[in-house]
Amino acid sequence: MNLNFLSPIYLLGLLGIAVPILIHLLTRRQQKRLRFSAVYLLLQSQKRSIKRSAPNRLLLLVIRCLAIALLSLALAHPLFSFGRAADLIPAKPSAHVFILDDSYSMALRSDDETLYDKAVKAVLNPIRKIPAGSVYSVVLASSPARVLQQWTEDASLAEKILKASKPSFQTTNIGQAMTEAIELLQSVPQKEKRIHVFTDLDKNGWEKKDFTLDEKKHSYAVKIIDFSHLNTGLNRAAVKNVEVSQEFLTNSRIVRVKSKVINLYHDSAINRLTVALAVNGKNRSEGAVSLAPNAVEEKEFTFPVTASEPVNGTIEIADDSLPLDNQRFFSYQPDQKIQVLVVDGDPKTVAHQRETFYLENALSPLAAALSHIEPTISTLEQLEARDLFDFSVVILCNVSDLPFDYEIQLEKYVMQGGALFITLGDQVDPKYYNQKLGNLLPATIESLQQVGRQDEPFRLQLQKSEHPVLKIFTGKALEEMKSIRVHSLYRVEPRENRKFTVPLWFANKYPALVESDFGKGKVLLYATSIDRDWNDFPIQPTFLPWVQRWVKYAARGLESIQRQDLLVGEPFVWRDDFAATLLFVKSPGGKITQLVSSGGEALYKETLRPGVYNLYRAAGEAREKPESAEPAPETVVKLPENALPAGAFTVNVDTKESIAGKISEEEIKKLLPNMAVEISSGGVSGEAVAASEGLPLATPFLLLVAGMLFWEGWVVRRE
Amino acid sequence: MQEKESFAYDPKVLSRISALKIRALNLVEGLLSGNHRSRHKGSSVEFAEYKDYSPGDEIRHIDWKVVGKTDKYHVKQFEQSTNLKCTILLDASGSMGYVSPNETGMSKMDYARTLVASLSCLLLKQFDAVGLTLFNDQVIQHIPPRSKTSHLQHILHGLCAIEPHGITRIDQVVESLVERLQGRSMLVLVSDLLAKEDDIYKDLKLIASRGLEVVLFHILHPDEVSLPFEGDFIFESLEDDPDIGLDPQDIREEYQNMVRRQIESYKKQCLGLGVDYVFLETTTPLDQALSYYLLKRQSLSKA
Repeated sequence: MNLNFLSPIYLLGLLGIAVPILIHLLTRRQQKRLRFSAVYLLLQSQKRSIKRSAPNRLLLLVIRCLAIALLSLALAHPLFSFGRAADLIPAKPSAHVFILDDSYSMALRSDDETLYDKAVKAVLNPIRKIPAGSVYSVVLASSPARVLQQWTEDASLAEKILKASKPSFQTTNIGQAMTEAIELLQSVPQKEKRIHVFTDLDKNGWEKKDFTLDEKKHSYAVKIIDFSHLNTGLNRAAVKNVEVSQEFLTNSRIVRVKSKVINLYHDSAINRLTVALAVNGKNRSEGAVSLAPNAVEEKEFTFPVTASEPVNGTIEIADDSLPLDNQRFFSYQPDQKIQVLVVDGDPKTVAHQRETFYLENALSPLAAALSHIEPTISTLEQLEARDLFDFSVVILCNVSDLPFDYEIQLEKYVMQGGALFITLGDQVDPKYYNQKLGNLLPATIESLQQVGRQDEPFRLQLQKSEHPVLKIFTGKALEEMKSIRVHSLYRVEPRENRKFTVPLWFANKYPALVESDFGKGKVLLYATSIDRDWNDFPIQPTFLPWVQRWVKYAARGLESIQRQDLLVGEPFVWRDDFAATLLFVKSPGGKITQLVSSGGEALYKETLRPGVYNLYRAAGEAREKPESAEPAPETVVKLPENALPAGAFTVNVDTKESIAGKISEEEIKKLLPNMAVEISSGGVSGEAVAASEGLPLATPFLLLVAGMLFWEGWVVRRE
Repeated sequence: MQEKESFAYDPKVLSRISALKIRALNLVEGLLSGNHRSRHKGSSVEFAEYKDYSPGDEIRHIDWKVVGKTDKYHVKQFEQSTNLKCTILLDASGSMGYVSPNETGMSKMDYARTLVASLSCLLLKQFDAVGLTLFNDQVIQHIPPRSKTSHLQHILHGLCAIEPHGITRIDQVVESLVERLQGRSMLVLVSDLLAKEDDIYKDLKLIASRGLEVVLFHILHPDEVSLPFEGDFIFESLEDDPDIGLDPQDIREEYQNMVRRQIESYKKQCLGLGVDYVFLETTTPLDQALSYYLLKRQSLSKA
């Protein structure tokens, strides 16, 4: 038999019993002792007498104490049941896997502790009673499920680990946990094997695809202890989504944050729920939304930013019992446009005859917002008025020669990380290029190769490439590019002792594009023209992505890392050229991890906490992936002094966990067809009891209180 | 020997004896003045009345002068001339030791002692034999009747040396005593009659059936009659009853009724048995009790 309380805090009311007792003691008259002769006569007359004041006083005291005790018991919502925690563990040697749901929905606060705390108590209760010869293990069910405690008989081990544990920020994955549990159970000799699942039965954790093991072969008793009844109505709302964008309508930079808030109630609306925006740790703005049941409402905030500092912020809604899903992080690098300086070496008054006409349109086809590239067209004359360091990429299009000593500025610019993209054409003076830009260019420009209009043109040698820029051109795109006709090109020859790569060739084995690194920057040389003078590539549909990708690649903006918004547990992939670069990730907790790159990719898996993760780069010898072992990110104490911020990404909780709702018993039984599934509800005291047997006693207790008060009144009146 | 020692050496007892003696003598002297002398002047054989002769009467008692005058046989009857033997039974059980918390006058036991001493004194002065039996659930001390004047000292000592204790069982005492008591003697029972397991009526009936003259002095303290206490009390028994805690106010009426009924019932029963029942509260002056005794004695000697 078992008596559980849903609100045990009210049991403090039992202390109220002291009040009538105190009153009784204080008002009690001093009793005198007297040696008397006719005591037996007193006894006889007392028996006959109707008035019995002293027992009445005691009776009143008892009634009043009982009334107070019953009232506080009734307020504490007692549940009476016949189930016992000991039932979970049979006396004979047995093996038990305790699956503990530590997903973030278990962090919901009910009374003054979380569901997880209650579940931990409920797990520890049977573990403490585990008889000799029986073993247990503990599996955590948040995705990815993992074994917390291997088979053991020692109850203190789990106690130590579990008491220190906290719910994670991940979603539930009971299926995986089941698989782990079944694997564990197969490895023990005990005949009696059981699985105990302590969960809030969030539907999100019971996806069919996760139940991979063939349960037909394994038939175990599965006892599910459900804590969801403690959750009813406590989690009101969640922030579902946050989108950040930038507005360019005005001259100042305006960041627009769109958030979607969902009402988790199925039957009641929420009026004026506060939604607050905080940016870089300061409250920026506040608004309110009213939500119909189950509805999603959008709340938009805009705010100006003055510096191009990264914006890290949160959208937060008014508190409820599960604070984790009330907050969503975002990170934004304002002004993410790649500023490109396009130098037109063959400007014409007719727009489409200009050298840069196709390039400009390809770089910003409709609006700058779509491509994140902002080209600035400049003529040679205007060039000296420009500050190269305002731009990420400089494209020299068919430029004959540069102003005096401008090549030195260019060298400095590329050395410090700028990208130089040179396209050739009829204006180009190869001599100038070979002499003045010898440091920058890994190849010399040799002879001009031309074919007649009627002759077979030069074709690009197209095959599937692993180059970051070209890898997207496959299949149909590749076929289309085969139709590109090139009439004129410069043959280029490599300089001695220079490192370079040729990502693109002509079919006649002439390099079409030469790529080389110079300092921190990158130099690209395109052996033909970027307009239609020497080829018809600019009017091909593949021209646009091809040009954009090269520009982004050169500007290191390809697959912009700043835009990554991950869910807890999703790995972060940093794709870039990591030559001579050390990579660091700083987690919201302040932990700094140095990443290991391999093939232009660095992987960071420890996205287990929601928040903003900052990225840093520092010059230095990059850690390359060792041949044999798995790359192991390394925790470092301090960032190197030359480390520079390299963006940020955000990790947020998956609101599926909040929104999904509760899975029904039938659905569970369908998922576990051969298992003997039994669902009971988790009590407050940490004992597991069967829900069907839990009899609420609040009403009878209140009736008893009324009865006591009535009786008390009657006794007082009779006095 | 034991008796003598305690008699000789216990100064408390000695002082109590002298005080009791003085009290008793004062009382008795006052009562007997005028009455005393005449009772000892006449012969021991005193004519009382005539009675018709009936076979079996002694012939020598026939008054021949009357036969001569009336031609009828009359027998002369004479008053008893022998000394009276009186045994005083004093209840020395625990209940007799009740001392009121707001005691002003005499305690119950002192009252009883004075009564017994006075009676003894009175009797001895009349040359009657007086004995004393102290009892609770059994006979504690028995002083056989003697008529010597110095016998008073023994009685006084017996009275003063005893402290009330134990439970009251009159029936057992009566059973053991009644055999020793001679007919035509007098029995004075002094008790509070607070004996829950005793059937007093039965005891009295037994005594009366032996042809004894019985005087019953029923002594109660006014507290025991009216239960005048105020407040919560735990009453501890002077005998063997369990303690009881109560507010006397709650049961006062019932208690008073019960005591009153008991007294009425004794009075009625005693009347039926020919026992003289005298109810005394300790506030009643003792000379009343004694004068009652004298009246009784007078009627006895006339019988």
